[in-house]
Amino acid sequence: MSFPILSLLILTPIIGALTLSLSSSTQLKNKTIFLSGLWITTGEFLLSLLLPIFYDKSKNGYQFIEFHTWFDKFDINYYVGVDGVSIPLILLTTFLVPICLLCSINSIKNRAKEFVIYFLLLESFIIGVFVSIDLVIFYVFFEAVLIPMFLIIGIWGGENRLYATFKFFLYTLAGSVLMLLAIIYIISKVKSGNIELISDFTFDQQIELVLFLCFFASFAVKVPMFPFHTWLPDAHVQAPTSGSVILAGVLLKLGAYGFIRLSLPFFEYASIYFQPMIFALSCVAIVYTSIVALRQLDMKKMIAYSSVAHMGFVTIGIFTLTQDGINGAYFQMISHGIVSAALFLIVGVVYERHHTRMISDYSGVTNVMPKYSFFFMVFMLSSVGLPGTSGFVGEFLVIMSTISVSVYLTFFTAIGVILGASYMLLLYKNINFGDLKSDIKQLADLTNIEIFYFSCLAFLTMLLGIYPKLLFEMINKSISLSII
Amino acid sequence: MINLFQFIPEIFILSLILITLCFGLFNKDRAISLNTLGFILLSILLLNYGKDFYSSTQISLNTINLFVLSKIILSIGSIVFILLLKRSLENENLYRYEYVLFLLFAILGSFVLISSNNFLTAFIGLELQSLSLYLMAAFNTKNLSSNEAGIKYFSLGALSSGFLLFGISMIYYDTGSFNIQNLDNFTAISEIGLSLVLISLFFKVSAAPFHIWTPDVYEGSPTISTLFFATLPKFASLIFLFRVYQELNISDIKSLNYIFQMVCAISLLVGVYGAITQKVIKRLLAFSSINHIGFMLIGIMSYQFMSEGTLFFYLIIYLITTFGIFAVLLNLRTVDGEFTKISQLNGLRFTSNSKSICMLVFFFSLAGIPPFAGFFAKFFILSASINDGYILLSIIAVLSSVIAAFYYLTIIKNIFFNKSEIELLDDNNKTGKVIFISSGLIITLFFIYPDPLINLVDNLFK
Repeated sequence: MSFPILSLLILTPIIGALTLSLSSSTQLKNKTIFLSGLWITTGEFLLSLLLPIFYDKSKNGYQFIEFHTWFDKFDINYYVGVDGVSIPLILLTTFLVPICLLCSINSIKNRAKEFVIYFLLLESFIIGVFVSIDLVIFYVFFEAVLIPMFLIIGIWGGENRLYATFKFFLYTLAGSVLMLLAIIYIISKVKSGNIELISDFTFDQQIELVLFLCFFASFAVKVPMFPFHTWLPDAHVQAPTSGSVILAGVLLKLGAYGFIRLSLPFFEYASIYFQPMIFALSCVAIVYTSIVALRQLDMKKMIAYSSVAHMGFVTIGIFTLTQDGINGAYFQMISHGIVSAALFLIVGVVYERHHTRMISDYSGVTNVMPKYSFFFMVFMLSSVGLPGTSGFVGEFLVIMSTISVSVYLTFFTAIGVILGASYMLLLYKNINFGDLKSDIKQLADLTNIEIFYFSCLAFLTMLLGIYPKLLFEMINKSISLSII
Repeated sequence: MINLFQFIPEIFILSLILITLCFGLFNKDRAISLNTLGFILLSILLLNYGKDFYSSTQISLNTINLFVLSKIILSIGSIVFILLLKRSLENENLYRYEYVLFLLFAILGSFVLISSNNFLTAFIGLELQSLSLYLMAAFNTKNLSSNEAGIKYFSLGALSSGFLLFGISMIYYDTGSFNIQNLDNFTAISEIGLSLVLISLFFKVSAAPFHIWTPDVYEGSPTISTLFFATLPKFASLIFLFRVYQELNISDIKSLNYIFQMVCAISLLVGVYGAITQKVIKRLLAFSSINHIGFMLIGIMSYQFMSEGTLFFYLIIYLITTFGIFAVLLNLRTVDGEFTKISQLNGLRFTSNSKSICMLVFFFSLAGIPPFAGFFAKFFILSASINDGYILLSIIAVLSSVIAAFYYLTIIKNIFFNKSEIELLDDNNKTGKVIFISSGLIITLFFIYPDPLINLVDNLFK
């Protein structure tokens, strides 16, 4: 197709951000700024809907390819294209960004223009990661994501935001630079940054192990996997609601996406070699962080830890190296993207009204906010993995695929499901049921805007839970190609 | 018979010096603007006829290109520098036309240094350059710390010149020649001599562990002189270091190569560890420049992979960024005088849009984070070094750049997150504003459309 849709997807938010930044900020009202941001991102979402419509599911390989030479001398090219693995994630991104803007119209009062600009830039960088099929531009976008996120947490975050945002930035950067070295080494060996060419190249086994670890360092921090996860609760707790939504919804997926897109096809030997290590780390992540989540007093922190546990399912699924496992992991990624985003929004709603995130400050909310409790229940059950919601399909497939690897693995992942149910139900019970506290009484129920975006998210979880084929149709073929 | 044709750029500057000297007595404003014109003329001359100047000599084409490109960069840098000069000297009550003379002598010295094929000529060039620098450091005669900086710089610089002369004489004793190009048959004595020469050059580019003068001199000197130390003379010395490395094939001499690698690694680490705790912005920039020198030394060592392009690329980006940062700093003043501390940058976001965004671009670019030009500068240096097999050095380099990111982020934090405590006066200097905005634009746009710069570097090396 000659229509440069992918470049358009990357450029639209950037152009929007530039236009906004050139307008004089004193004359514009906050609402106008947010509305213009909303128009741009909604347009972007509609534009991205063209991708699944025109994507040919019967073909192998990348589609909508665009190729431009970038650095002639060094053979670095602007080379983008999408396949089944990237399209759902692009849609997820373009779907979540308008919601992020929508939920912050009332909560972000100062420096609204900057806020919208950073979000637009963030969106275009994230899409850039998902569409690039050249290693160098993949890295460029992967790293560029840090800058707007750093500013978003740093400017609009909570009391301890500096610590959180520095930790987030430096952790991720430290992981990424090792990947940068590995990328340079690979390019010097293969003489090209093209992902397809590199997949066909076989490295020396010892070197492959080192290269795998370099990539692993970067993606494991991003996912985050067990020993590298400590930045996540801090970042989540301090970030504004919209920042948490995009962080949990999309940024965590960059790591898992990197595993599927780069690590598996590049390093076949190493993927099998390091399988036990990754399983062990993921099991620890699932069980340990679930137990930690049980004891949290802060709602956001609890959901942050549950994210680590859920992403543990994803890494296990990916490294079972079976079609079912990766399918399940991928489904879990998308489902977690929707559900955890929704849960952070849920926390954001009460935080905006009551200005505290402590679980003990709430009880009996269902008496004053019935609609809120309803949506909370939908997402809570989806997070637990109730059949009929999207959370179930992914967890089920992952657990099923672990049986072929080891029964112990199945045991630990199943424990994770039980623990997950217990902390989510506990959270729900403590907040929604019980005696109505006096200072809760004046809380207002959901506004129309909130109902609107919660129902969008709830509809999606239900749809994916009831008709998962929608997603599997898209990803099946592309994933079967990346399996050894 | 000496062919004077090849000295045209040097003669040009010399005549510029004489004209400024006479003219400045009557009208210092005109004398300074005359120099801007002179350097514009010189860069056009070099751009168009640069290669012809050396065509009658027996220098290899590659080296000629090196001469021409570095002289073009020096003269363009001087133009920018002279544009910034007037306002910042006026602000410190130092507006005298002699300053421009020092600048001209320093540039003349740099020109001689770059194109010298003989150790003695190089010594003359280096001394001419350094003596002007000492004067520039102490230019603010009423300020104690400026005097201190000048004396420190002078005494340590004299020591390093002593090293240089001693090294040269040892080489002469051993080989009977001052010529850089035809030195073969090394014995241990020449190796020791060469290492002394290298030490002196490391001192000039402020590579660790010969860096001790840098933070003090940077801090004490007038800011405009600091800008000069950080950019053009360092660039010239680095080019000469590169030539020594290349012509003498130091990569084949094991002992010297070890010294080189050690200095490189130490610079990378000392730079970042020194910078973390700094509270004064000029000291921080001094240490950060040491870290960047480490990267440039890697570029020198692995020049075989992508020719000189990689090194030049890094240098050009680094020069543009440094000019940009200093243009912003020169444009800021506090109520009670010059602005020195990092914490004084607090809340710059609220007072000036363009400055804060440009600072964001510059510091992220220095940290090597895409989408800014600094990323590709580092990327190419690292590719060259990995291709040449310096894996350990590359790992040290990237880890040091993670630590470096911390203090660059701290500055950005001060600008963007903190509330301002003291009032910053905006100097509203139009030229300065044009300079930092255009360097910010170059660094961002370069990323999207890199061809012009790459072609410039490329064409001159064909």
